[in-house]
Amino acid sequence: MPDPVARSEPYILFELAGTSYGIPSRVVQQMEMVEHITPVPNAPPFVEGVVFLRGQVIPAINLRERFGFPKAPYNLRTRLIVVRAAGRTVGFIVDSAREFVPISTETIQPPPEGIAGLSGHYLAGIATLGQRLVLILDVEAVIGQGEAIPTPI
Amino acid sequence: MPLFSRRSDNALATEIAQMRAQMAQIVHSADEVNRIADQVTEGAAAQSRSLDDMVSGVNQMAASLKETAGQAESVATSTEELVSSINEMAASTEQVAGNATALATAVSQTAASIQQITASIQSITQAAQEMAASATEVNGAMTEMASSVKGVAEDTETLRGSINETATAIEEMSRSVQGVAANADELASAAEETSSAINEMAASIEEVSATAENLAASVEETSTTIEQMARSIQGVAQNANRINEAAATSATSATQLDRSIRSVAALAKQADETTRRVARDAVEGGSTTEKSIQGMGRVRDAMSQSASVIREMGRRSAEIGSIVDTINLLAERTNLLSLNASIEAARAGEAGRGFAVVAEEIRNLADRSAKATADISAIIKALQEVANEAVASSNEGLRVAEEGTRLAEGGLEALHKILNGVQETSQLMAQISRATEEQLVASQSVVSAVNTTAEQARQATVATAEQAKSAANIVQAVNQMRKISQQVAQAMGEQGRAARDIIKAAQSTMNLAAQVRKATIEQAKSTTQVMQAVELMRRSAANTTRAMSEQATAADQVAKESDRLMRVIAGVTKALNEQSAGANQVTSAVESMRRQADQVAKAMAEQARAGKDMHTATAVITRQIGLISRANREHSTVAGQLLNGLADVRRVADRNAQSAREVRRALADLLAQAQTFTGVMDRLGGNKVK
Repeated sequence: MPDPVARSEPYILFELAGTSYGIPSRVVQQMEMVEHITPVPNAPPFVEGVVFLRGQVIPAINLRERFGFPKAPYNLRTRLIVVRAAGRTVGFIVDSAREFVPISTETIQPPPEGIAGLSGHYLAGIATLGQRLVLILDVEAVIGQGEAIPTPI
Repeated sequence: MPLFSRRSDNALATEIAQMRAQMAQIVHSADEVNRIADQVTEGAAAQSRSLDDMVSGVNQMAASLKETAGQAESVATSTEELVSSINEMAASTEQVAGNATALATAVSQTAASIQQITASIQSITQAAQEMAASATEVNGAMTEMASSVKGVAEDTETLRGSINETATAIEEMSRSVQGVAANADELASAAEETSSAINEMAASIEEVSATAENLAASVEETSTTIEQMARSIQGVAQNANRINEAAATSATSATQLDRSIRSVAALAKQADETTRRVARDAVEGGSTTEKSIQGMGRVRDAMSQSASVIREMGRRSAEIGSIVDTINLLAERTNLLSLNASIEAARAGEAGRGFAVVAEEIRNLADRSAKATADISAIIKALQEVANEAVASSNEGLRVAEEGTRLAEGGLEALHKILNGVQETSQLMAQISRATEEQLVASQSVVSAVNTTAEQARQATVATAEQAKSAANIVQAVNQMRKISQQVAQAMGEQGRAARDIIKAAQSTMNLAAQVRKATIEQAKSTTQVMQAVELMRRSAANTTRAMSEQATAADQVAKESDRLMRVIAGVTKALNEQSAGANQVTSAVESMRRQADQVAKAMAEQARAGKDMHTATAVITRQIGLISRANREHSTVAGQLLNGLADVRRVADRNAQSAREVRRALADLLAQAQTFTGVMDRLGGNKVK
């Protein structure tokens, strides 16, 4: 049954301000615990700074800040998800990220017309996982808005 | 005789016969006078005897009065003792009141009792005021007596004046008699002298008669006075009876008082026992409280131990928490690694499928591990909360235990205070018992004093009865005297008539009674004697006047003493008022002692009532004694007056007797002269006949 299999894709699920989000596993380069962030002068408020991973210097974006949620302190469950999209590598700081789930593309619906605006632009769709609702993030849109995201490379 | 003619001889014979007849008449009259003089002498003797009787009766009465006065004094003394006993008792009662004041838990009814005592004191004050009034009465009586004494003194003065007049008259008479004796012709002057002597005698008889009338009047007065005295003595007897009754009432009151004091003593004993029981309970409570303080200390120790144990447990659970955190970190890292493995496996495609499965299992294990550590964290957190609560509870328990200890110590202190209070109460109860003992002694002396008063009153009654009897004797003697003096007056009247007859006879023989001159000389001598007697009388009248003035001075002194007594009574009244004010203060002070010992109060009320009765009885006794003393003083005054009157009577009677003797002597001389005269006449007649 290549069909159903071919039409499902693994996602990394993460939590942000009580909501579950999903990003495709293929854009995720690696995941880390948030340990040491070096602040960068004149960066936009949602950029916490840069981290040095596997020989790369990566900007760390606070998604809470980016999505207009209040900031929260880091803890044991805070994660840095390193994604590579549109030729750029950035790190997303999220509340937690613990699941690696295959989601069938059939279950992903486009975002409703009502939620236009800023958040609407970042969503690729909404998936239902059992009883859970998972917002599928449009990673390229998040990165590609590219207002002031430093691009070290 | 050649000198006489026959006719003139005849005429002479006739004159001689006439003279003889007149001589015979004179002799007859003289005999009659002699007889009457005998009667007078007899009467005077009888009067003297009856006067003796009377004097002895009066003396007896005076002695009896003195005895009565002594008894009244001893009654007064025993009344004073009674009063002092009552005062002592009052002082003792005050002491009890003072103790009651100090006793914080004393009786409210005591206040009512003390108010009753206050009322009783007020009634005593009234009694004292009555006493003062009675003293005022005594004072008035004294003033009256003094004025009466002064009246007697004036009478005596008058008497002395009359005696002086008499003396002057007698002196004049003496001079006249001497003039007659010196100048008269032998016969004529003798007759004249005889005649004048007879005249003088008649005048003297008239005077004696007047004196006898005065005597009768004086006897009448004396008899009236004595009757008054007898009535007054009857009044005294009635007062003595009333004193007897009052003494009986006092005795009953004293017995009641004694009984009530005994019941107070019994109640005080009961209160003492109760106090002892309270003290025992307080001691037991103290030891129980000490035990509970010790238990509290043990509780505190245990609490602090358990608090430290719980703190240790909290510390350990914190350690466990840090271990759990480490486990949690490991679980998170495991999860992270498995996720990265899954990502790599997905990227490897089909080749990584098996690896992906392993990575997922690892992730599942890590998740379970994380879940378990989360559970452990929750449990440890709850445990720590419980431990904190336990520590807080232990601290609270510690605090409560300390507070309990403090409270128990406070209770112990309070118990000590109670114990002290109970001991104080016990001491006060002992003082009350002692005071009650003293009251018992005082009431005993009150009873004995009252009995003494009753005995004295009885004796006074007996003495008064004797006095009444002797007064009756005196009345009898006075009546007899009255009769005798009336007889004397009658005899004197007869004597006067006879004297007038003599004067008639003497006038006709005046020319012939030459030798009467000798009698005149005798009379002059008698006059001198009379003058001596009058001088004596004058002296005794002066003495009497002096004695009367001394008596007046004494009466003034008595009045002064009476004033002083009034002042003393006023002082007593003032002191009683102060006492009353003090009692009022005590009443207000005792207001606070509301809650205990109704029975004591009742007993105190009985006591107060009995004391009040006693006070009333004492006041009655004092009043009665005052009446008796006044009556006694009046009696003494009357007796003195009576004695004076009797002395006057005796003097007058003596004078009468002396005059009667002189009349008799003069008559004897007259008879001798008459006989000589008759002899001369006979000789004269014989010569003529021859």
